[in-house]
Amino acid sequence: MSFVELDSLTKRFGEEVAVSSIDLSIEQGEFVTLLGPSGCGKTTTLRCIAGLERPDGGEIRIEGDVVTSVSKGVHLTPEQRNLGMVFQSYAVWPHMTVFDNVAYGLRVRRRGRAEIREKTTKALELVGLGQLAERFATKLSGGQRQRVALARAIVYNPRVVLFDEPLSNLDAKLREQMRVELARLQHDVGITSVYVTHDQAEALVMSDRVVVMNKGVIQQIGDPHTIYSRPANAFVANFIGVANLLEGGLLGRSGETADIEISLGPGRPPLRLKAAGGEGARAGDRVILSVRPEDLSLHVHLPQDASNLIEGQVIDTVYLGNFLDCQVQVGQYEVGVQIDHFEQLAKGQKVYLTFRPDHALCLTE
Amino acid sequence: MATEILTRPVEDAPTSRWHSIFTQENIATTLASLLVGAAVILPLFAIILSSFQILDSSGFGTEWGLDNYRSLLKDRVIYGAFVNTLLISSGATLLATFLGVSLAWINARTNCPWRGKLEPFNLIPFFLSPFVGAIAWHNLAAPKVGLLNNLAREILGIKGHLLNVDNIYGVIWVTGIFFTPLVYLFVVGSLRRMDPSLEDSARTTGAGLLRTTLTVTLPLVTPGILSGAIIVFVTSAGEFGVPFKLGAPYGWETLTTQIFTKAVGDDANHYLGAAMSMTLGAITAFFIWIQRRIIAPREYTTVTGKGFRPNLIDLGPWKWAALAYNLAYLFIAVLLPLVCLVIVSLHPVWEGRIIFTDLTFWNYKKTLFFWWPERIVSATNGIVNSFILAFIGASIAMILALVVSYMIHRTKGFGSRLLDFLCVIPIGFPGIVIAMGVLVTYIKTPIYATLWIILLGYITRFFPYGQRNISAVMLAVSEELDQSSRMAGASWLTTLKRVTIPLLKPGIFAGWILLFVIFLRELSISIILYSTGTETLSVGVYYLTNFENEPLTSALSVAQSVVLLLCVYFFRRIAGREALTA
Amino acid sequence: MNEAANGNYLDVQGLVKYFGSDRAVDGISFGVPKGRFLTLLGPSGCGKTTTLMCIAGLHKPDAGEISVGGALFTSVSQRAYLPPEKRDIGMVFQSYAIWPHMTVTQNVAYPLEIRKLSHSEIGDRVAEALRLVGLSDMAGKLATNLSGGQQQRAALARAIVFRPRLLLFDEPLSNLDLKLREQMRVELKRIQHEVGITSVYVTHDQSEALVMSDDIIVMSKGVIQQTGGPHAIYARPLNRFVSNFIGVANLLDGRIVRVFGPGRGEIEVAQGGDKVRLPCLLADGIGEGSEAVLSVRPENVDALRDPQGLGAGIRGEVIQTIFLGNCQDCRVRWGDFEWKVLAHSRERLRPGDRVYLRLDPEHTLAVRP
Repeated sequence: MSFVELDSLTKRFGEEVAVSSIDLSIEQGEFVTLLGPSGCGKTTTLRCIAGLERPDGGEIRIEGDVVTSVSKGVHLTPEQRNLGMVFQSYAVWPHMTVFDNVAYGLRVRRRGRAEIREKTTKALELVGLGQLAERFATKLSGGQRQRVALARAIVYNPRVVLFDEPLSNLDAKLREQMRVELARLQHDVGITSVYVTHDQAEALVMSDRVVVMNKGVIQQIGDPHTIYSRPANAFVANFIGVANLLEGGLLGRSGETADIEISLGPGRPPLRLKAAGGEGARAGDRVILSVRPEDLSLHVHLPQDASNLIEGQVIDTVYLGNFLDCQVQVGQYEVGVQIDHFEQLAKGQKVYLTFRPDHALCLTE
Repeated sequence: MATEILTRPVEDAPTSRWHSIFTQENIATTLASLLVGAAVILPLFAIILSSFQILDSSGFGTEWGLDNYRSLLKDRVIYGAFVNTLLISSGATLLATFLGVSLAWINARTNCPWRGKLEPFNLIPFFLSPFVGAIAWHNLAAPKVGLLNNLAREILGIKGHLLNVDNIYGVIWVTGIFFTPLVYLFVVGSLRRMDPSLEDSARTTGAGLLRTTLTVTLPLVTPGILSGAIIVFVTSAGEFGVPFKLGAPYGWETLTTQIFTKAVGDDANHYLGAAMSMTLGAITAFFIWIQRRIIAPREYTTVTGKGFRPNLIDLGPWKWAALAYNLAYLFIAVLLPLVCLVIVSLHPVWEGRIIFTDLTFWNYKKTLFFWWPERIVSATNGIVNSFILAFIGASIAMILALVVSYMIHRTKGFGSRLLDFLCVIPIGFPGIVIAMGVLVTYIKTPIYATLWIILLGYITRFFPYGQRNISAVMLAVSEELDQSSRMAGASWLTTLKRVTIPLLKPGIFAGWILLFVIFLRELSISIILYSTGTETLSVGVYYLTNFENEPLTSALSVAQSVVLLLCVYFFRRIAGREALTA
Repeated sequence: MNEAANGNYLDVQGLVKYFGSDRAVDGISFGVPKGRFLTLLGPSGCGKTTTLMCIAGLHKPDAGEISVGGALFTSVSQRAYLPPEKRDIGMVFQSYAIWPHMTVTQNVAYPLEIRKLSHSEIGDRVAEALRLVGLSDMAGKLATNLSGGQQQRAALARAIVFRPRLLLFDEPLSNLDLKLREQMRVELKRIQHEVGITSVYVTHDQSEALVMSDDIIVMSKGVIQQTGGPHAIYARPLNRFVSNFIGVANLLDGRIVRVFGPGRGEIEVAQGGDKVRLPCLLADGIGEGSEAVLSVRPENVDALRDPQGLGAGIRGEVIQTIFLGNCQDCRVRWGDFEWKVLAHSRERLRPGDRVYLRLDPEHTLAVRP
């Protein structure tokens, strides 16, 4: 039995199905991220766990206690679930000081004065706000408010902490800093966490496991490395990072690799390429070859080893500081390549792209 | 090829140097600030100066001194009026705050049935004339001629009377229920706009519904409640019609009724009236200052993105009680008074009971048919004058408001801050005080005793309302929309004409109708500044209730209310409820 | 006569602008040659937008001079000020500023109507501008029915349709989401290139600046920190601020102990008892014995498990690894300092690993503090 279990959870808004019968198990101490584009049902799922939404079907159990079950007619209110939650808008109460915000959960639980002071102070120190306890919440910066919200959510040692896109209102630099910090903190405290975001980098950085969702359905569950390097389908491949997706037909499989024929449009010979994966597909099936820009090598001259070779013309190069992003026209495709050395490429110049078969993936639709 | 068309030059580059002083922008805004400055400052100065001038016994000469203020304390009637004013304002504030907050909460945050449909009706009293409300409630609950009291005597068989509104409690009652929408507006907005995650986070932290409401929801709207309460207090203190109808005739004088007596009575003493006005103005200005300086800045702006909807509280079966409560308010504040007025207006004489055989439209003919020789001239004059005043006044005020708003929000500097301040002053002073100021300023000029002086009073007192309306829209419309027009080559005036005004149209129109409504029902300025021939609608009602009988009064009141309700209907269609918070 | 004496089309000299007692822009001078794309880059409050507003004529400077193509726009000393509508400048705003009460066509036609062009000419130009930004299908739509990206395109069309002398951009992409932003910046650059209008672009986003600009001016606190091409700014920052603001850098205080030749030397840095000397490139104005800051980007640091003849190098412990998909962001502790190292994710470094850090001497910089 897992620590948190979702059992065919379903939620509709009017006609629209926001969450469509999803199952998910979360272990104690685990950091699980629900990742997906806006409207994919990730926030709704989180709010169902919190008790802020009432699902239309399914069951949620935390530590074996049924907190919501449509069939059994059970629905605990949010305050009965003993969870912590951090909101996108921080939701730090503007009429209270930082200390009062954080102490709130303990006061509601009727803890003693000494205990409240001790635990609140400790939580504030943990998030690095020990100095600001008496400050009013309105006088804090966005990052500081986010820390208050976090301290408030963990101070009473809840069973699970829920995060609803907590970093999306911060600016890019602060966001990067906060996500590293959040991951460290969660690791130190060891509290079970469910995190919702649409930012794939955030999900990869922080999570033990990532749940990729789209249109109310789970697309893939796995650790960040697996999600990135072995996406289950084209949606995941394209949503996590950037991937060049080339459509083609499977010619056959030998061992771990799949032979794929990519058609480049009328009047052009098709490309024959090798990639990993493609388990379960048969010769003649439509498949998608997925290869990431950083896994492609760009050559100005025809390379010696000409297997897995793509020929194309440079459309444009974009300088990004630590690397060049080069767009290459290959038939009807614009293929992105990442080059990590500074190189002058002319528009229209002929270039050759190669990749290792085990760095590309054959996906079935 | 691609850019061939675009690369043809458009215009020779202008290279002339340009001195920045005589631009359209500067001329228009300077003119507007001078106008506003003169309109606001002159009456205030005049009234302050007058209050220190003492009328000698002959009634002609004056000398400087503090006697006017001394007599405020010595004169038992004025002292009593002062106390009554404070009592009435406090009472009305408590009543309106209680009703306003509870109704706002029911409408914004519970699952009370029909709450969306009830909202516009809850605001109706805001648009109607409280003076007419007082007349209606007099006819409903005066000890002898009150309809309710007569019904009680007939049906319940009680002796004497059930209710009596001809006293300070009646004044508080009518003022309170009529100013309830002011509190409602302040609170309902903050309740609706509150970020629901502020409450959600209290729930997930472990607080129950009641605790969340008490420790999070209510504290967050407290500044809104206080703001609404202060506005009600100030408006009640400046209200003339209700105490004039229900208080003064029965020995409950207030500062406004006393100012009126001193200003236009037979032994008029403008100087004493000015001193009283200053006293009243000092109180109201002080409270408005508190509201704007201390309370308004504490309002928590809690709006966030992420398509939020407020959390609704499931009242269970109690939702029907909430609905009944809301309907009861509407019945008492709107339906009952209007029905009563209609009934009274159809009787030749009113003795407190309905006599079906006597019903007639005679009263409407006498008061409305301005072409009819047997008309009551004071009443029919009022209709024509009020429409003229409302139309011209609203138009001029909105033009002024537009330029002033533009200055405040689009030009930044000392001038704009000064102007912003000037626009608050009239809000801090009751209409009757401004009217006294206008009176003493212009009494020796040709505009005295014309419609122009009334117009001037109206615009001075109420153009800030229009200005707030435009400002609200202007703040929502990005300044970059204007700037990009300038960058595209349009002058200030062209930008105003083609971009700014079209974008502000909803705000301008809403403000115009709001002012139109206010001017149509205006009493406390008109009553000081009118003379024979320049009566207004409300002055007509005053004339009828003072010198004619209740049925005639009721007929004109009904007519006025119908026009106002029509305006409300149009207002709803054009602006939202938000446009009302002045 | 079309250009200032120094060959610049847009010329800004000694620009100063106060807000109250706050010096938003503190006497900056720069120029843009005709047809070039210049970016003013800096954190919020650095004065970049204020500078842009002064060029546009929407703010009046407190000192300084601005001229375009030889025409004086603003000169405080000569008391000259041309109002914005006379400057003939196209501008794209952060909020797009597309007029919601007009259709896309009306929006784009507006500057031409102001200039009283003939109907047919207006029609041609609007159609051409809309085609250029890819909005031909949206011509009749009300602006409110457009998505953010489409509004941005309409704003651009409106800014270029009257062939302005100068094109100004005030953080035009900051309201778009990440994927759209990346797409739009390439496209914006393409369109600017195609119409060839001299452009000044304001942003706080360094990658936007690197992608789009011919030249970049990095600003901070109202002052110019560095001017140069994208590659120069990224690869050869002059001082600590630029190093830290553009990209990510490991920054360590040190001292120059030796100068080899022009622009090359050795810097000594110390941490927790460990003292190392590293060969490095010297930024302008740094000589022997001067205090300097060592600046190395994470991608120019290799973390090696085995020293391979590295000699006395930096030896540290991996304390955190963050999986970023295409690479691994590692933190390596060396004394009290945490090195940021970007390793290929296939290397699979783990916390606790002892590693040697190798700095690429061609990318190891000593910059001004």
